[in-house]
Amino acid sequence: MSGEIILEGKGLWKRYGSLDVLKGVDISVRKGETKVIIGPSGSGKSTLLRILGLLEPPTKGEIYFRGENVYAGNLNLNRIRAKIGFVFQEPSLFRHLTALGNVKLGLKHVLKMKDEEAEKKAMEMLRLVHLEEWADHYPAQLSGGQQQRVGIARALAMDPDIILFDEPTASLDIELTWEVIEVMEELARKGITMLVVTHEIPFAKEVADEICFMEEGLIKECAPPEIMLRNPKTPRARSFLKRLLGAYGGI
Amino acid sequence: MISTSDFIFLLRGVPATLSISFIAFIIGFAIGIPLTMVRLYTPRIYASMANAYVKVFLGVPVLVIMLFFYFGLGKYLPPFRSPYMSAIAALGFRSGAYQSQIFKSAMNSVPRDQILAARSLGLTKTQIIRYIILPQAFIVALPGLGSEIALLIKDSAYSFILGVLDITMHADILRRAHKLFLAPYLAGALLYIMMTFPIANYLDRLGSRLKDRYGLR
Ligand SMILES: Nc1ncnc2c1ncn2[C@@H]1O[C@H](COP(=O)(O)OP(=O)(O)OP(=O)(O)O)[C@@H](O)[C@H]1O
Ligand SMILES: [Mg+2]
Repeated sequence: MSGEIILEGKGLWKRYGSLDVLKGVDISVRKGETKVIIGPSGSGKSTLLRILGLLEPPTKGEIYFRGENVYAGNLNLNRIRAKIGFVFQEPSLFRHLTALGNVKLGLKHVLKMKDEEAEKKAMEMLRLVHLEEWADHYPAQLSGGQQQRVGIARALAMDPDIILFDEPTASLDIELTWEVIEVMEELARKGITMLVVTHEIPFAKEVADEICFMEEGLIKECAPPEIMLRNPKTPRARSFLKRLLGAYGGI
Repeated sequence: MISTSDFIFLLRGVPATLSISFIAFIIGFAIGIPLTMVRLYTPRIYASMANAYVKVFLGVPVLVIMLFFYFGLGKYLPPFRSPYMSAIAALGFRSGAYQSQIFKSAMNSVPRDQILAARSLGLTKTQIIRYIILPQAFIVALPGLGSEIALLIKDSAYSFILGVLDITMHADILRRAHKLFLAPYLAGALLYIMMTFPIANYLDRLGSRLKDRYGLR
């Protein structure tokens, strides 16, 4: 991959109390790239994504968005956050708003679109995730998979330069997982820049340009899927993948 | 129990009881919302001052607050020379503390992921409070607000000690006039229940229904 670097973390540390969750992570995602992060529970994947999404600051280290050091000087963080989409592990829809209302909110209040324009754009986004018929439903009336797809539409609507996905299917059963993964594959093929924490190996195999293995607050190894899934360098990545692939009956 | 004309006499206390309670509720709301904002979203010095307010008004009997307004402040501030105003002020200021407790826990009940999601869209802190937290918090707060209104209606009875002509005062006048102890108070109690129960019950049900509809916790 040789496009412009959209998002980059350099030497990212995060400490909660006396616990070092990130211990100097370097990571970058280029325009059009789909990068997947895998790793055991508690290795700091969600923390890394929240920090890259500017949802909380790192204890140490720098984040560059399109070459700009976001915490240096006084940039308008909200303006940059709007350009970094985020899809969470648990459905995080605004419960008091319909599917359409969820997608419209940022368009109206961040991008300052007129109601009509926001509505049109939001419907377009719901169509992309195959949910235009569910526009008037509240989250409580939607399945987990539908909620996650609304979440994707909500992120997508802002025309972000990159979308971060934090195990968007981890709380879904197999069938619902599929409908979400399918949408994500469509986005990857469209060239949307994505950084995805997931253990859906078929997805990674299909669309990832690179898979990174994370453990104990560090990215231990990054490689294209054909290498990472067959022959990772580090022993820990190897044993982790062996267990993970075992769950898929080998690939 | 008591005669119809006596019961009609008791009803003359209703306007005082209701107006004291509702004005106090509105004052409590006007204090409670900003107080909660200060407690949750401002630097520690301000937040701890707001917390102190809550601690004081939660820790002191409302009758004492009422006496303080009437006999204490009344000396210096003319409005509080009125028993009616002192009762409203005491109940209103205390209600501010109670309502702040209700709103604080309701606002904290909005899950963190929703707030992070709102932040990831680029919404400002103020917008997140306005468009995400408050609308859901109001629904969650409804049952608590119902109990608070009921509490105000009941506690407005203390104003009788200052000489306000509320339901309790009218019941007491009947007691003195008829040398009857039980019946006037029972009739008064019935009136209180007729006011507190429907309001508390309605807001409780409305809250549950909306919480179910939106799947709020
Ligand atoms: N806000 C926080 N305060 C304190 N500790 C935290 C916080 N967030 C995460 N941690 C801790 O940091 C460690 C890494 O958590 P994180 O959620 O980033 O891991 P993860 O790789 O995403 O795990 P999983 O696969 O289970 O989602 C855990 O030990 C967690 O308890
Ligand atoms: Mg996680």
